[in-house]
Amino acid sequence: MAPVLEFQEITKQYGGWFTRQPVQALDRFSLSVEAGEIFGFLGPNGAGKTTAIHLALGFMRADQGRGLMLGRPFGDARTRRRVGFLAENVALYHRPAAKLVQFYGGLNSLGGARLRQRSREVLELVNLAPDAERNVGSFSRGMLQRIGLAQALVNDPELLILDEPTSALDPVARVIIRELLLRLKGEGKTVFLSSHLLSEVELVCDRVGVMHGGRLAKLGRTVDLLHSREQSQVVARGIDVGAFPGGVASDGVVSFTITTTSQREVLERIWSLGGEVVSVNPLKRSLEQIFLEVTQPELERRGK
Amino acid sequence: MKPVWLIAGNFLREQRWPVVILLGWVVLLSVAAGFSDLRRTPEDVFMLFQQVAVYILVFSLFFGASAIRNELRTRRILAVLSKGISRRQYIAGLLLGIVMAIAIYCLALGMAGAWVLPQVGVPAMRFGLLLLGLGVASLLTACLALFFSIFLHPLLATGATLVIVGSPLLVEVVWNSSWAVLVPVYAILQGFLNLSQGATAFQGWLILLALGETALVWLVSAWLFSWKDVALAVE
Repeated sequence: MAPVLEFQEITKQYGGWFTRQPVQALDRFSLSVEAGEIFGFLGPNGAGKTTAIHLALGFMRADQGRGLMLGRPFGDARTRRRVGFLAENVALYHRPAAKLVQFYGGLNSLGGARLRQRSREVLELVNLAPDAERNVGSFSRGMLQRIGLAQALVNDPELLILDEPTSALDPVARVIIRELLLRLKGEGKTVFLSSHLLSEVELVCDRVGVMHGGRLAKLGRTVDLLHSREQSQVVARGIDVGAFPGGVASDGVVSFTITTTSQREVLERIWSLGGEVVSVNPLKRSLEQIFLEVTQPELERRGK
Repeated sequence: MKPVWLIAGNFLREQRWPVVILLGWVVLLSVAAGFSDLRRTPEDVFMLFQQVAVYILVFSLFFGASAIRNELRTRRILAVLSKGISRRQYIAGLLLGIVMAIAIYCLALGMAGAWVLPQVGVPAMRFGLLLLGLGVASLLTACLALFFSIFLHPLLATGATLVIVGSPLLVEVVWNSSWAVLVPVYAILQGFLNLSQGATAFQGWLILLALGETALVWLVSAWLFSWKDVALAVE
């Protein structure tokens, strides 16, 4: 199956003529997002995430390289009818919520009773149905983000591109959005999710990519990244806490981390010491740890 | 075509206050003229109508110069251009919005003129044709301003448009050349400015020339705008 979103060796630089120091936003950046997945797009500020999204939507052009969205080159207007987008700092016109959603739906050439019906549906989805007649100008930031999501969903998109969709939401709203994303995935939609909320990404994304310095520094299935193949967590009972390096005693058991290659040897040693193996599992790491591993060198460089 | 109309309607909605203010001025003008002894003060009436005609042109200039910049500054353009519309449609929508604003002004001025001007010897038909010319001249002015605003600050775009629109006046005065009609805004507006000097021949070809130039500037603007990075913040 062809990728839904594909960046091919894309380079993008800002400034540099007479105005300011050139900034390399993307440096031969390549990525493929498959149909039906929720893809987490991570990276520190200035890593090039938003630039990549803006290129995909045709807001700007790449200096080098090319990209395809739903099989068509970036910037193709007809293709965007099948795409939904929520910008990082959502900016919308001030008018009643229902009218606003209908306006954006109309821009995708939707109309009539179908559009009005769809408008009601998406306002329900983002929990804004009671505020349908309220002017968006009086909305809180969290409500703005939700109405932004509603306008992104109004055309029932095949691909949903979200740039920080939950940053201003309270925990309840976050759960609603998370469930909504999973539901969209269940319907076969593809979600491209850029976020700093790593715990959210960890919960919903099938794959994640970590951007760093305009390049993709890490890419993989979320489960693979979170569960290390190289290291295992061993929990044993009846052994001394100092028997293995890094051992921690808690609730009558001792836990410690080992390399997967030494697993057999370690287990035999536990038995030889008269102990009992409670569990051996691949070491679970958080997305935050992975994120820091990728970006730490940069942080250290900045610190220096 | 629907998205173009939606963008136009939205533009008009966003610019409702300038539209209402100039409309209020036209209404005020009509009321003032209605209560005065028109036959004794025809020159004052002509001056008021000429003044409003220039206002319409100036408002069109400002609408054109600020239309894109406002959207970029507020970043509202991102949600709009993320939909299934091309840059050409977007520019067309903005221009159609400006046309609608100009049409509202011209309609109001036309209604006032149809009531007042026949009393001072200007036939309604002649005034109607002058209004048509005014509308087209305003549209060309707005289109030029929109074109310059794609790559210039609105103030500079306004200045550049004034230079282009005003240069025929210089050409005519200094060189007395017929090239002055190349940008026919001034030539068309002259009909309005000579309102008191009796009937002048209706120069339909100037209006056609202005419409042709508007279409050309729109196409060039759309092409140029398709290269513009709309995601960069402008302040």
